Amino acid sequence: MGRNATTPMARAPEIPRPGAGILRVMAWLVILGLIYAYGWRVTQIDIGELVSKAHLITPLLRDLVRPDVLERRPRLELADAGIGLEGTPPPAPELARTRGLVTVTPAATQIGETVVISGEGFTPERPVALIWKDQAGSLAQVAEATTDATGRFQTTVAVPDVIGTAHHIIARVTLEGTTLGPSNALRLVGFRMVETVFLALMGTTLAVLFAVPLSFLGAKNLMARGPIGTSVYFVVRTVFNIARSIEPLILATVFAVWVGIGPFAGVLALGIHSIASLGKLYSEQIESIDPGPIEAITATGASMLQVVRYAVVPQIVPPFIAFTIYRWDINVRMSTVIGFVGGGGIGFLLMQYINLLQWKQAATAVWAITLVVAAMDYASAVVREKVV
Amino acid sequence: MPGAAVRIEHLTKTYPDGTRALKDVSFSVQPGEFLIIIGLSGSGKSTLMRCINRLIEPTSGKVYIDDVDVTALPPDGLRRMRRSIGMIFQQFNLVKRSPVLTNVLAGRLGYVPPSWSLYNFWPRDLREQGLRHLMTVGIPEKAYTRADQLSGGQQQRVGIARALMQDPRLILADEPVASLDPATSHSILQYVEQLNRNEGITVMCSLHFLSLARRYGTRLIALKAGEIVFEGLPADIDERRFKEVFGEEAVEVEIR
Repeated sequence: MGRNATTPMARAPEIPRPGAGILRVMAWLVILGLIYAYGWRVTQIDIGELVSKAHLITPLLRDLVRPDVLERRPRLELADAGIGLEGTPPPAPELARTRGLVTVTPAATQIGETVVISGEGFTPERPVALIWKDQAGSLAQVAEATTDATGRFQTTVAVPDVIGTAHHIIARVTLEGTTLGPSNALRLVGFRMVETVFLALMGTTLAVLFAVPLSFLGAKNLMARGPIGTSVYFVVRTVFNIARSIEPLILATVFAVWVGIGPFAGVLALGIHSIASLGKLYSEQIESIDPGPIEAITATGASMLQVVRYAVVPQIVPPFIAFTIYRWDINVRMSTVIGFVGGGGIGFLLMQYINLLQWKQAATAVWAITLVVAAMDYASAVVREKVV
Repeated sequence: MPGAAVRIEHLTKTYPDGTRALKDVSFSVQPGEFLIIIGLSGSGKSTLMRCINRLIEPTSGKVYIDDVDVTALPPDGLRRMRRSIGMIFQQFNLVKRSPVLTNVLAGRLGYVPPSWSLYNFWPRDLREQGLRHLMTVGIPEKAYTRADQLSGGQQQRVGIARALMQDPRLILADEPVASLDPATSHSILQYVEQLNRNEGITVMCSLHFLSLARRYGTRLIALKAGEIVFEGLPADIDERRFKEVFGEEAVEVEIR
């Protein structure tokens, strides 16, 4: 390059005045400077706060590495027996029998009467709590006892002033030592996580049901053949674009008002958003199918249906499946956030933990989200690899 | 079964945008001939091929195959006619995501009950026949490979096997070697030539290269702007005729 690169010209181009370009660049720089100065002020950026207020976030960070996953519980032996009031026969025991046996005499009695509660077959010399469970299921401790050297106990209880006729008395024997098991938070997180994955699945399925037929109406190569088809195409594409531009978060707030806070609002929000995004992807796939195989299969004397089965389906079904799995994956990620605005699932639980400053439990939820999203991401990548 | 006889009378095709792709074309092909059609891109070769099996509906004129008027056939009759006409394409037109054998068997779709094909069910004898045709074109080991894993030449062989699956009496080859290198071009055309010689299948094949036309054709038609400008033996095309067909600035390129 350099001087030799100049090509001969009929007329020399006008040379701009020296300095004019530099002035323009300077002007742009000043404008950019003003824009960013205003942006800095308006977003209240203050780097110093990152350091000076670090102590506010340390509990969260500290608890993030020790989430509430396992907990020690007392080891228990439980048994129950039914009590019938006001002439009703006593109901059958509810708990699966583990070790001991409880009997109440008399089992059919009245409020204010005294009953004898005796147990046998429990671990010897351990404290026993006797808990009254009324017909509505509420629990109240009514007596204490201790098992003797043979594993028996006996005590008397005055029937409390309860409502209903079918009641139970539960003997809870506390043993030595503790057991390690999943914590309450872990169980709850697990349950909500399953809810979240299914929320995403239902939302995606809902979207597929609508997106597949709509995508054919939104494919230019099929529709743009006459004035009616073209207008249908434009309407469908416009609806896709509008629905896609509404954030699922906003949709979820709207549906939470409509159908109430819970996973169903999340399903609807994700569903509506996914109809639009899947519909657009499907339509583009239909638009990009290769007409060659259709021509070739038609030329063999195949019927219309056979042409669709052999030339069209193999071209669109695998990508459709891949897009759908990818969308499900995105929806699992999105449904965690949707929960924050009332869409149910793990996000709702996480928000509750954060509002109650239960950082360890919040950490459990955060870890669960991270693991499940990563696993879904990996699984969907593997499946898509196989399908396409 | 002997090859089909083709007779084309006053065939004209005008596209909706006003392009006149074929202007009153008439010629006939005898059973067992290897007819070459040459011409520039846009001269109407592909339109002519597709008017014969009505992948493109002609505007006017008649196409007879063994004295049956193809242009007058009802949809059912047309499908029965199409199944005896194999077609080979420049871009191979295989279903890329399907295995090779499925692509070959698809050639039989016109013969089997529609309900079978919806479940992709093919009886053993048809599958064996498909494998035999793959053996004919020299790639039996690729039967269960996905079509898009094959090279261009191999894909065109699958295209030939698919056409063979139709038990064709006529093969329409639309620029079958235009996407292939010279050596592969010869091997593909040799397979077609074998079918023409051994089975007596009538072949109509459009080509770009005169050298290939001279080597394989028994007769030649040259198209220019939708009209026949030459009809005769491939050897009869001399320098003057060549310039007439391909324009003053054209230079003949040899493929050996």
